[in-house]
Amino acid sequence: MKAATWTGVNEVSVEDVPEPTILNDHDVILKIRQSVTCGSDLHLIGGYIPFMRAGDVIGHEFLGEVVEVGKEVRDRKVGDRVVVAPFAACGSCWYCKQELYSLCDNGNANPGITEGLWGQGVGGCFGYSHAMGGYAGSHAELMRVPYADVGTFVVPEGVSDTRALFASDAASTGWMGADLAGTEPGDVVAVWGAGGVGQMAARAAMLLGAEQVVVIDRVPERLTQVRTHVGAEAVDYTTTDVVAELRERTGGRGPDVCIEAVGMEAHAPGTPGIYDQVKQQLRLQTDRPTAVREAITACRKGGTVFTLGVFAAMVDKFPLGAAMNKGLTLRGAQVHAQRYIPELLRRMEADELVTEHLATHVMPLGEAPEGYRMFKEKDDGCVRAVFLP
Amino acid sequence: MDLPGIVHRAGGALLGTLQHVRIPGVGQASVTDDPATSARRWRAVTVLRDQAAVGTPEAPPPPLDRFGDRIEVRLTAAPADRGTELAARFRGTPSEAEIGELRAALREAKQLLEVGEVLRVDPQPHGQRKPTPQGAALEGMTEQAPKEGVL
Ligand SMILES: NC(=O)c1ccc[n+]([C@@H]2O[C@H](COP(=O)([O-])OP(=O)(O)OC[C@H]3O[C@@H](n4cnc5c(N)ncnc54)[C@H](O)[C@@H]3O)[C@@H](O)[C@H]2O)c1
Ligand SMILES: [Zn+2]
Ligand SMILES: [Zn+2]
Repeated sequence: MKAATWTGVNEVSVEDVPEPTILNDHDVILKIRQSVTCGSDLHLIGGYIPFMRAGDVIGHEFLGEVVEVGKEVRDRKVGDRVVVAPFAACGSCWYCKQELYSLCDNGNANPGITEGLWGQGVGGCFGYSHAMGGYAGSHAELMRVPYADVGTFVVPEGVSDTRALFASDAASTGWMGADLAGTEPGDVVAVWGAGGVGQMAARAAMLLGAEQVVVIDRVPERLTQVRTHVGAEAVDYTTTDVVAELRERTGGRGPDVCIEAVGMEAHAPGTPGIYDQVKQQLRLQTDRPTAVREAITACRKGGTVFTLGVFAAMVDKFPLGAAMNKGLTLRGAQVHAQRYIPELLRRMEADELVTEHLATHVMPLGEAPEGYRMFKEKDDGCVRAVFLP
Repeated sequence: MDLPGIVHRAGGALLGTLQHVRIPGVGQASVTDDPATSARRWRAVTVLRDQAAVGTPEAPPPPLDRFGDRIEVRLTAAPADRGTELAARFRGTPSEAEIGELRAALREAKQLLEVGEVLRVDPQPHGQRKPTPQGAALEGMTEQAPKEGVL
């Protein structure tokens, strides 16, 4: 079958690969209907997560049709149209019982790698390196999904493929940020990054009752989407002093909740940006934390900063003094999608949550390399490239 | 810490190297223990099952049973709702390879008890594996990964 693979730093290819088979009794095989690029893939493709092998099938945000079920699968059957959580979670361990699915103890067959890196092993994510479980990803005609009763969700008939697709990752990640940051009615919420994740975090904050939601980015098409499709306010950080602007908009307090949806390749204008890039390229720091620093500085006393953006290891010049003295809560997580997908699908069905505009470019799977190029360079207003196998 | 540099270094030994990056508390089972003390530590997983379902020190759950009397096994109720702590260690001074086998066995025992089967990821669809040093290193690393870590 055809699949999009990582074949080297900044190199995505389309290859013929063997078809997947059921490996565990709780598996299903899906025929992929739609699979989409995520900002996390850019960190992988760029070589910032050095646990990829040439030939690895990538992709973790997807929707498909069940074509085969393992013998312990109870709630899914052939023909079901399902959207899938990016992290494989068993549903039976203590972390799954706490609904912290991306921390599942039994979802990653290579636990030694992340234990070594971070002190504890974390869950496994499809198509996201050997550190995160070594699973083949979803940019393929067929895909094996383990723990199918826990991680796959039947899409209601009234919800289109392209809307439901984003319940998988962008919308569940954004919702998780707004929820676990403790967004309350009346809060002011600032979101760094207007990609799929940042936009969905902003929308979630609004639906959770935030009074004012401000999204920060520099890409004009994305800022326009924030205003028109999400209904939040948008600030261009290349022309506006973000911290001063947020202070002015909040009566001098700063936002109650700051959600960072940028990640380890954050861009920064001027000297600090060059400093971080050089340090990252010399491997003196692995991640560029520009937006997290700004979020910590901007946040009101006693507020919460949530990092949705993916970081791999070490950062430099981290304003821990501000975080401590201002009494901030710092939190982050990989997506616990299983916890949010059912509610997101309900809200999608009720037209409260609209996501189709994120699919700016829809193309055949064979054009995945070009799709990733456009996505990375934000060419032609690309926000997400959707692949049709 | 020069992570990509470490990754380039080679083979399955590499994960072991990662465990010994000297940042206090990061990346290794024991930070300041000497190897003999470290090898004698109890290695433990917490299993979300009642103690009775997990087993007894004399009859530990599979695949720990296959170590026979080379290991001692300890079962303790975990605090609150967290299940049972299942711990094991070698009676003598084990080799690195033996510790690796014990890590993998503890993880498998936990999965068998919690899920009923052990997660597999092989074989999986993939494209052409270009023969690069980094690819070879990573292959060694993933082969070792079930036996490595801080457990
Ligand atoms: N926690 C999770 O489970 C999870 C899930 C999905 C994605 N992510 C991560 O979330 C982040 C965003 O994902 P995405 O898919 O929206 O990515 P994306 O690449 O589409 O969007 C990132 C946006 O950040 C903007 N940006 C860069 N530097 C900035 C700065 N200094 N201030 C403000 N904005 C800045 C970019 O212009 C871009 O629009 C990535 O790091 C991704 O890895 C995490
Ligand atoms: Zn993602
Ligand atoms: Zn679990």
